[in-house]
Amino acid sequence: MTQAKECSTAELMASVVARQIRNDDVVFIGVGIPLIAGIVAVSTHAPEAILVYEGGGIGARTRRIPWTISDNPTTDNALAATQMWRVFGDQQRGFITLGVIGGAEVDRFGNLNTTVILGVDGTYARPKVRLPGSGGANDIASSALRTIIMMRLQKGKFVNRVQYITSPGYLTGPGEREKAGLHGTGPVMVVTDRCIFAFDDQTKEMVLRNLYPGVKVEEVKQLVDWDLAVSPDLGEVKPPTEEQLRAMRTFDSMGLILEKKTAKESESFDDFFKHMRCAYESIHLNF
Amino acid sequence: MPGADEKCMTMEQAVDHFVRDGYSVAYGGIAGREPMAVSYEIARQRKRNLIFITATTVDSAEILIAGGCVKRVECAYIWVGVIGRGNNYRRAVEKGIPNDLEVEECSNFGMSMRFMAGALGLPFMPVKSLLGSDIITHNPSIKVMDDPYGGGPVALVPAARPDVAFIHVQRADKAGNAQIWGMLGNDDNLARAAKAVIITCEEIIPTSEIRKIPNMTAIPSYCVTAVVKVPFCSHPLPVSGYYWMDIPFRRGMVAASKTRKGIVSWMDEWIYGLKDFEAYKEKVGSERLARVQQMEFENYRIPHISDKE
Repeated sequence: MTQAKECSTAELMASVVARQIRNDDVVFIGVGIPLIAGIVAVSTHAPEAILVYEGGGIGARTRRIPWTISDNPTTDNALAATQMWRVFGDQQRGFITLGVIGGAEVDRFGNLNTTVILGVDGTYARPKVRLPGSGGANDIASSALRTIIMMRLQKGKFVNRVQYITSPGYLTGPGEREKAGLHGTGPVMVVTDRCIFAFDDQTKEMVLRNLYPGVKVEEVKQLVDWDLAVSPDLGEVKPPTEEQLRAMRTFDSMGLILEKKTAKESESFDDFFKHMRCAYESIHLNF
Repeated sequence: MPGADEKCMTMEQAVDHFVRDGYSVAYGGIAGREPMAVSYEIARQRKRNLIFITATTVDSAEILIAGGCVKRVECAYIWVGVIGRGNNYRRAVEKGIPNDLEVEECSNFGMSMRFMAGALGLPFMPVKSLLGSDIITHNPSIKVMDDPYGGGPVALVPAARPDVAFIHVQRADKAGNAQIWGMLGNDDNLARAAKAVIITCEEIIPTSEIRKIPNMTAIPSYCVTAVVKVPFCSHPLPVSGYYWMDIPFRRGMVAASKTRKGIVSWMDEWIYGLKDFEAYKEKVGSERLARVQQMEFENYRIPHISDKE
C-alpha cells in the first residue's frame, strides 16, 4: 500500500474512521463522512463488515450516495430490509459492534449535545438555537459496543460540560455509565479535522492521541475548554492510502461529501441529475 | 368491516374526514416514503393544533410546522438533514413563529418502542436507551425503574396511539393490504398503534398480486381504515423502487425557508395557490417526475414475480 500525497481534511477524517472498522464489525453508520468511511472500509480492508442503517437497511451494496439513513440506496442490493425498531433492537441486544456519531457540542467525558444551545437566558423550551434532537444517536451511544465520535474541532464546541446530554459518553466519570444501566462501552475515539482524541482508561477523560500533519499541541489546547491531557504515546495521523482515496473518490466523484463544490445550490435539476448519473455509472459493483 | 371499494377515497376526503383540529397525527416512512402530499393537503385545509408524533421526520414535518398546523411534537428528530437545517422547526421553538411549539423528546429507539407498545396493546415498553441523558430530565413521561428481575435500571416509554396515521407504501390492494419495498421504518407497528390508518400508495394492485409475495405485506387490511392512490406522494422525497430524491427541489424549499417571508411565499406558490396535488405535479412537470423515476429504475426496482410454473 502506498501513501497518497495530497488529500482534503474530510478525506483524512474518512480514512481515519475507515481504519477503525474491522472485517468482523457490524456498524451503525450515519450519512456524510461516516458513510464514506464505511464504504471505504468495505471496499478495501474490511469486505465482510456489515453496514446497518437506522431506517432498517442491512448490508447494502450501492452505487449511489444515500442522503439520509433511510434513503433508497440504504437497501440497494441489501442483505436485509427490515424495521427501525428491529435494527435498534439488534443493537440493544449487542449485535452492533461499532457506531459512529457526531454532535454540535462535546464535553471532556465524551457526552454529546445535538438538542439545544441555550444561550445567555435561554431555556430548554425556548433555547437560543434549536438543533435536530437525538434521532438514533442516543441509542447508538447507549448500546453500540463501542462508539466513535466525529466532530470538527472549533472553539466553544469542546467544553467542560455540555448544556444538554443528548447522547451519553462517560457521563460524570468512571463507573457512571454502569450505574446508569448502560450496556455499551462508550466512546473510544473522537475524530476531528485537526487531531484524534482517545479516552483515558482510568479517568475516562478525553486525551490528545494523534495530531494531523502540521498541527501543534498548543493549537489544540487552545480550542478545548478544559486542561487537556496529552497521551505519552502522542503520534501523527497516518495519511490515507492510495487505495482508500481511490475508493472514496470513485464513490463520491462529485465531491458532495468530501468538500468539493461541484454540487452548488444554484445547480439546475438537469445538471444535478446528469452529474449524479455519471457518478453512479462510474461505479462497478462486485459482490 | 367495510367493503373493499368503500375504503377508497381521495386525498382531500381523507384529510377532511380523518384529521380534526387537535388530533394526534403520525406519518409512516423516514425521509423515504414520507407522505409529502398529505402535509400539503393538511396545510391547504388549514388544520390546527395537531400533535405530531414521530421518531424521525424531515420535510413533511417542516411543512406542517410552517403551515401553523402543529401545537406539539413528540419526536426524536425533526430537521431537513444533510441538505440543510430545519428552519421552520427552529423558528417555531426559538421564536414562536408562526406559533409556539411544545416539544416532548425521545430517541429513535424510544419512539419505536412507543409505537410497538401501542401496536401490542401494552401500556409501555422498557428500553436500555435514554438512561443518564437529559432527554429524561426534560420528558416527564419517561420513567426510570429497576428491572424487577434484578437486571438494573431500565427506562419506560409510554404507548403511542395516534388518532390518525398516514402511511405511504409502494403498493396496496383496495382493501388496504399494504406492501412495502425497502426499509420499513416503524410502519408495521404504527399501523397497529393508530386509531385510524390511511394508506396512500403509488399503485393499487389486485389482491392476487399481493398473494404472490405475502412477505412484503407489512400491513394487513384489517388495520386499515382508508386507501388513497397517490402516485409521487413523497415528492421531493424518494420511494424505493419508484423514484429517487429530487435534491434540487428540496434545496429550493430549504433556501426559501431561511426566512418566514420566504417559506410563506414558497407555500403560496406550491400549496395554497394550487387546487390539489395533481396541480402540484403538473407544476413540477411530468418530464421531471419521469426523470426521478428513471433514476430509480436504473438502480433498483421490485423484481417481477412471474406466473410461470
